[in-house]
Amino acid sequence: MSRLRRREAMWFYLFASPWIIGFVVFLLGPMVASIYFSLTDWDSFTPPKFVGLENYTRLLTEDPVFWKALWNTFYYAAISVPLGLGIGLWLANLLNKQVRVRKVFRTLIYLPTLVPLVATAMIFKMVLAPSGPLNDVLGVAGIPGPSWLLEAIWVKPALVLLSVWGAGGATVLLLAAMKGIPRELYEAAEVDGAGSVRQFWSITVPQLTPIIFFNLIMGLIGAFQVFSQVYILTKGGPNNASQMMVPMLFDEAFSFYHMGYASALSWLLFAVILVFTLLAFRTARRWVFYETEVN
Amino acid sequence: MATILSAAAPPQRDQQPESEPGRSRERVLGVFRATPFTYATLIVVSAVLCVPLVFVVSIALASDQTVNANTFTIFPREFHWENFTRVFGTDLPMQRFLLNSVIISTGAVIGQVLSSGLVGYAFARLRAPGKNTLFIVVLATMMIPAQITMIPQFILFKELGWVNTYLPLIVPNFFSNAFNVFLVRQFVSRLPSEIDEAAMVDGLGFFGIYRRIMLPMLSPVLIAIGIFTLTATWGDFMGPLIYLNDETKMPLALGVQYITSTSAALQAPPWNLVMVGSILLTLPMILVYYLGQRYLYEMDISGGSAGVK
Repeated sequence: MSRLRRREAMWFYLFASPWIIGFVVFLLGPMVASIYFSLTDWDSFTPPKFVGLENYTRLLTEDPVFWKALWNTFYYAAISVPLGLGIGLWLANLLNKQVRVRKVFRTLIYLPTLVPLVATAMIFKMVLAPSGPLNDVLGVAGIPGPSWLLEAIWVKPALVLLSVWGAGGATVLLLAAMKGIPRELYEAAEVDGAGSVRQFWSITVPQLTPIIFFNLIMGLIGAFQVFSQVYILTKGGPNNASQMMVPMLFDEAFSFYHMGYASALSWLLFAVILVFTLLAFRTARRWVFYETEVN
Repeated sequence: MATILSAAAPPQRDQQPESEPGRSRERVLGVFRATPFTYATLIVVSAVLCVPLVFVVSIALASDQTVNANTFTIFPREFHWENFTRVFGTDLPMQRFLLNSVIISTGAVIGQVLSSGLVGYAFARLRAPGKNTLFIVVLATMMIPAQITMIPQFILFKELGWVNTYLPLIVPNFFSNAFNVFLVRQFVSRLPSEIDEAAMVDGLGFFGIYRRIMLPMLSPVLIAIGIFTLTATWGDFMGPLIYLNDETKMPLALGVQYITSTSAALQAPPWNLVMVGSILLTLPMILVYYLGQRYLYEMDISGGSAGVK
């Protein structure tokens, strides 16, 4: 290696050092530590006691809350993510038409996504109160509204509702992507006599599949890690009906100081996310359309 | 990961981003024709989505009696503007919460902007053995959920005596993060390399090239990173919840929740003041989005993280 090349390499490692140091100190080191913690019984005050895989077996075979939290997280992710994307797609398609004051509609639909999650949770605590606005509206329609956050069967739909309020994020994104679809495709389809609905399903949706796929993945990963809403609105209740993976992890670690148990839980969470991401990628070949594959 | 991230970039936009399909000389295609039904749907949906926000304003302006009696209405009937001054000092330490939010967010933004630019530039331009392997590691770390490192990091910061200080929320940002490094790298890769080669011929060192040539050109991506970091830090709840338990250190996002959780069990939280807090929490985000949206649109990959909360 020439002297110049060596100097360049030295500068590379110097410039990259913030990330390298951060990677070792805040990621790699903690990951190794986390693996070790997950094999111990530890309250963070007394020395950790090595227990082997006991934390994992206890989580998987003895702890009923874990399975409940896992199921609730699945429920939340499986409904909120596709629903949010579906609504986003529907609204983006409407906004992609030649609508007057489109910018006003777009802004109003996007506005909720700018509200920080804590404020969103506060707003929904008020909206979903037993005698809150939502139940007032339902009351006008003659439907007796449930006590959303206090009833086991309604608390998860309530959390889904909160997440769907932010469908404007997907809307704006899909709208931007729709504008990039070549107009000729629609012109040709019209000549061929395809109606609007047919064009939506045969042109718009296939053209958007890469971006839908990306949002599906990111949405699922995000949904599996849902925390603030649950912590603020329900604390996992009633009777763990809305307990999810990360709030459970937080409770175990920072309320009960079960550091080892919580570490094991974090690795199970990682495994779940990994499996779902890989599954999504496996199915992608069948429904995600990439322009480059055609040529 | 690389393929999915490149898939995230929306297809090339038209010359004019706001070009209306079918307007001007071109005939409107049937599929782009807006019907009364289109308008009706858009109006209803926009209204439904905005109702909660109107309620927030109405409650923020309501008197304590109205709030306690639960008799507020969607459109405000009373205008207790003093609620907005009450939260500062007299009833709640909102100015302290706000100041803490500003301190933490500023520190985080400075850290990410400084470090991500440098690291991203290095990955895009400088040649070194092991670089490609290292970049694969950068991409791979994006898959690790933050919860894995949450507990060991807490222990680390506890050992350092940083619990109940701003440091755990600020310092890690000075070490950049994978997503921002990736953004900068992609951005630099699109710049013509003749620029820095010419500067090299002129005798500028690598740091000189970065400082004098690259940095000015990086401003769009660095502003975008600043906005992402600001939004994430300003709204972050879990980090402050783990590390801060002293009321005078809490940022607004935690403070607002703290007010509702500490009001005595028998007594309902002061919803009007909580909503004032929520408004104070939200307005800067709307402002930042309004001022920064052209940078966000420029960084078309930003779209990727938009719908995710």
